[in-house]
Amino acid sequence: MGNIVVFGILWAGLTAVGEWVFRTHRAHSFYYTISNQGSLALSAFNFLSSWLMPIFIFIALVTIFALVRFRAPNNEPKPSEVQAMRNRAFIFTWVGLSFALNIMFWLHPTSVDLEAMFTNWRKEKAQHPLIVNVTARQWEWMFNYPQYHVTQAVNAQGLDEMELPVNRPVEFFLRSYDPFHTYDVYAGVIHSFWIPAFGIKEDVIPGETRTEFLIPEHVANYHTSPLVRVQCAEVCGPGHPYMESPVSVVTAAQFAKWIKYEQKLQAAAGGS
Amino acid sequence: MEQQITQAEARNNPQPKVMHMAPVLRGLVWATIGFAIFDLMTVAVDPFRGRPLVTEPSVVVGWVGALIGWLMGVGGYEGVILPLFGSPSTWVEPKNWRKYFGLSTNHKVIGLQYLVTSSSIFFIAGMDAMAIRYELMQPSMHFFTYTGQYLTAVGVHGSLMMFGVGTVVLISGLGNYFVPLMIGAKETVFSRLSGIGHWLLPAGALTLIASPLLGYWDTGWRGYEPLASQDPGGMVFYYLGIFAMTLSTIIASLNLAATIIFHRARGMTWARLPLFVWGILTVSLLNLIWQPEIEMTFVMALLDKLIPFHFFDALGSPLTYLSMFWLFGHPEVYIIVLPAFALWNEIIPVMAQKNLFARDWAIIGLIFVMMLSGLVWAHHIFTNMRNSEMFPFSFFSEMISIPTGFSFMAAIGTLWRARLRFTTPTLLVLMAIFNFVIGGLTGVYLADPPVNLQVHDTFFVIAHFHYTIIGGAIFTWVAAMYYWLPKLSGRMFNDTLGKWLALWIFIGFNGTFSQMFLLGLDGMNRWVPAYPPYLKPLNYSVSLFAFFLGAGFIANAIHIWWAWVKGPKSPENPWHARTLEWLTTSPPPDDNFDGEVEVVRGFYRYDHDEPSAYLVKNPEPAE
Ligand SMILES: [Cu+2]
Repeated sequence: MGNIVVFGILWAGLTAVGEWVFRTHRAHSFYYTISNQGSLALSAFNFLSSWLMPIFIFIALVTIFALVRFRAPNNEPKPSEVQAMRNRAFIFTWVGLSFALNIMFWLHPTSVDLEAMFTNWRKEKAQHPLIVNVTARQWEWMFNYPQYHVTQAVNAQGLDEMELPVNRPVEFFLRSYDPFHTYDVYAGVIHSFWIPAFGIKEDVIPGETRTEFLIPEHVANYHTSPLVRVQCAEVCGPGHPYMESPVSVVTAAQFAKWIKYEQKLQAAAGGS
Repeated sequence: MEQQITQAEARNNPQPKVMHMAPVLRGLVWATIGFAIFDLMTVAVDPFRGRPLVTEPSVVVGWVGALIGWLMGVGGYEGVILPLFGSPSTWVEPKNWRKYFGLSTNHKVIGLQYLVTSSSIFFIAGMDAMAIRYELMQPSMHFFTYTGQYLTAVGVHGSLMMFGVGTVVLISGLGNYFVPLMIGAKETVFSRLSGIGHWLLPAGALTLIASPLLGYWDTGWRGYEPLASQDPGGMVFYYLGIFAMTLSTIIASLNLAATIIFHRARGMTWARLPLFVWGILTVSLLNLIWQPEIEMTFVMALLDKLIPFHFFDALGSPLTYLSMFWLFGHPEVYIIVLPAFALWNEIIPVMAQKNLFARDWAIIGLIFVMMLSGLVWAHHIFTNMRNSEMFPFSFFSEMISIPTGFSFMAAIGTLWRARLRFTTPTLLVLMAIFNFVIGGLTGVYLADPPVNLQVHDTFFVIAHFHYTIIGGAIFTWVAAMYYWLPKLSGRMFNDTLGKWLALWIFIGFNGTFSQMFLLGLDGMNRWVPAYPPYLKPLNYSVSLFAFFLGAGFIANAIHIWWAWVKGPKSPENPWHARTLEWLTTSPPPDDNFDGEVEVVRGFYRYDHDEPSAYLVKNPEPAE
C-alpha cells in the first residue's frame, strides 16, 4: 500500500510539473501557424499532449521507481517476496482506461476535428474563395491565378512566388504534371504541397486534380518566418530539396497591387 | 530409418569428397559465373542500342543467375541439388569454425550466422547513417556531391535496417538459436531450407549496397511510384536486394512456425509455451502473410520499370502502390517490435525472480496486435484521403495501442514490489520500455488526421519510428544479447561496464531522436540534404548526439565480443531462469539436449522450487 501511495504522489506531482511546463511552452506554440486549418491541428496537438503527459509520466516513473524502490540489495537469486500473478483491480483499470482513452481520442479530437475541417472546407467553398492553381513539376511549384488572368506568378527575377490576401478563403487546385515537357506531359511524380505555417500538407498525384481550402489569418512572409514557404514534402527526385517557393500573406490592398504588378510583368513578357 | 541411412552410405564412397575451396569463396566465383552467363544470354536475345553488355533487363536475369550460383556455391549444390536428383548429399559440415562459413543445418549455427551477418549489416547501415548526419550538419551540400547520392544513402540505410536488421535479429537470429532450445526441440523442421535461407541475407544486402553502381536512386526505403519507374537503374537492385532479404525472412518464419507447431518437447503444451516463442509464432504468421505481399508488389513494380506496364504511373494508379506498400509496411513495424515485447516479459520475471503477471493478457496482446496490424496502413497516406476514408483507419490506429499496452501491463505488474536484480539486461529492458512508450505515444499524434497532415513526412515521423525501432527493438536486442551471452558462449560479461555502456547508448539515442521531434515541428521535411539555414543549430546538435550513439553501439559490440571470447566462465544458469534453454550445457551440444526433455509445469512461477522440466539423460554408452 505504501508503495502505491508514494508512487501516486510522485506521479501526480510530476504530472502537474509536466503539465505546467507544457502549458508555459505552449504559450510560444509548438509550431508556428497562421491559418484556420493550422489552428485546428495545433489545438488537437495540444489536447493530445496534455492527455498523453500523465501516461508518459506513469510509464517513465514505473521504470525509475522499479530501479530505485524494488531493486534487490544484491544479485543473489532469491525469489521476490510478493508473487502476485493477478490483480483484478489493476487489470480492470488498465484495460478499461485504455479503451476509454482511445475511444475518447477517436471522438475528440479526431472525429470532431475531421468534421470541423471538412465543414470549414464546404463553407469556404461557398464564400467565393480566391482560386490558385498549383502545378507541381520536377522541380518547381507554379502558381496560377485564373480569376485575375495571371498564368504564372513570378517575382522580378522570374522565380515563382505566391501571395495570398489575409482573411480571404483560398481554394488550391493541385496538379502534378509537366506543362513544359515536350512529348509526355504525364511524366509526373508524387509531390506534396506543404506550407508549414498553414498546418496542412496534401499529396499531389499525377493524373488527379485535388483541392484544398484554408484561410490565412495573419500577415506574414518568408522573412518574418521561414515556415511561410511552399515546401515539397514528398521525395520527388534529386531536385526535391530545392523544390520550395516563398509565400507572402498580405493585406487586401497589397494583394491588389501585387496582382497589378503580375499582370504588368505578364504583358511586358508578351504573355496571354 | 537408421537402417536405410546405413545402407545408403554403404553404397557410396565412405569418404566424401574433400572440398578444396572455401564455400563462401566458391559461392562468389559461381555467382560471378552465373551472372555472366545469364546476363550475356539476355543481352544476346534482347540487345539494346549501342549493344551494352549490361542492361536493366539483363542485370535482373543476371542477378538471378548470380543468386543461383551463390546459393549452390555456399553448399546448396551438395546439400540440396544432389539429393534432389537422387544422389546422396556429399556435403559435410565441418566441426570447427568453418561451419559458420557454409551451408549448415544446425539451427544454432544458422542463428549465429544470421546474428553475425545482421550485425555487419547494422554496422554498414549505421555508418551510412553517420554519413547522413554528417551531411546534415550544414544547411547546404558539403559532403555528398549530388542530391541523388544522398538520397541513395538514405534509401540504402532504411532498406538495410528494416530488411537486414530489424526484421532479422530477433526472429531469424535469436529466434533460430533459441526457439528450438526453448521448446525442447533437437532440430528444426526444415533445417536444410533454413540453412539456405541465411545465405539469401548477405546476397540481398550486398545487392542493395551495390545499387549505386547502377545509378543513384531517390525514393528512400519505400520505393514510391511513379518516381521509382523513372529513376536510374539502382532501383532494380533495391527490388532485388529486398526480394532476397524478405525471402530469407519468409524461410526463417516458415521453419520456426513449423518447428513450434510440430517439434515441441513432451509436456510443452500451448499453455506452457514461453513468451518469446509466442512472440516468434505471431510474428512468423505476420511474415508469412505480409512478406509475400510486398514481394508481389515489388515484382509488379520491377516489371513496371522494365517493360513498362504503367501499373503505377498516371496511366495506372500511383495510389495503389502506396496502399500495397503500406499494407505490408505497417505490419512490418510490428514484425520488428512484437518479439521485443515478448522478450521484456521473458527477461523481467527472471531478473525479479517473480511470477509473470497476467501472462494470458501478455499473449492475447501479442495476438491482437498481430491481427490489428493489417488494418491500420492507410494512416501512412492520410495526405491522400478524405474525411470518410480517414475515420476507420484513424480508429484502428488508435485502438492498436490497447493490445500493445497489455505487454506493458504484464511488465509493470511483474516489476511491482519485485526483488529486482539490477543487471545490464534489466537496465536495457527498462530503457527499451521507456523508449518505446515515447515511440508509441507519439504515434497517437500521427493517428489523428489533422495533426498527421502537419507532421507527416517531417522529422517528427522519423523520430517517432526510430523510437519504436531503435528505442524498442534494438535496445531489446542488446538486452537479449547480454541476457543470453552466458548461454551462447558459456562466458559472462562485465556487469558494471555493461551498465555504463547501456547508459551511453541511452543518452546518445534520446539526445539524437528527441531533438528530431522538435526539428519536425519546426518544419524540417524528409529527404533533404539541403535545408533552410534556420534549422542548422538543431541539426548540428542532433548530429553530435548521433555520432555519440554510433560510437556507443560499437563499444557495446566490442564488449560483447570480448566477453564471448575472453570473458570469465559463467555458471550453468547464471540468472536462475526456468526456461528450457538453461537445462542444457552452455554452449549447447549439437543436438541441444543430452537426453529427453519433459516439461511438467509452466516456466514463469517463482513461488515454488519445483523444476519446470526434467532432462532424462541418455544412458552412458557402454564401453
Ligand atoms: Cu516535389
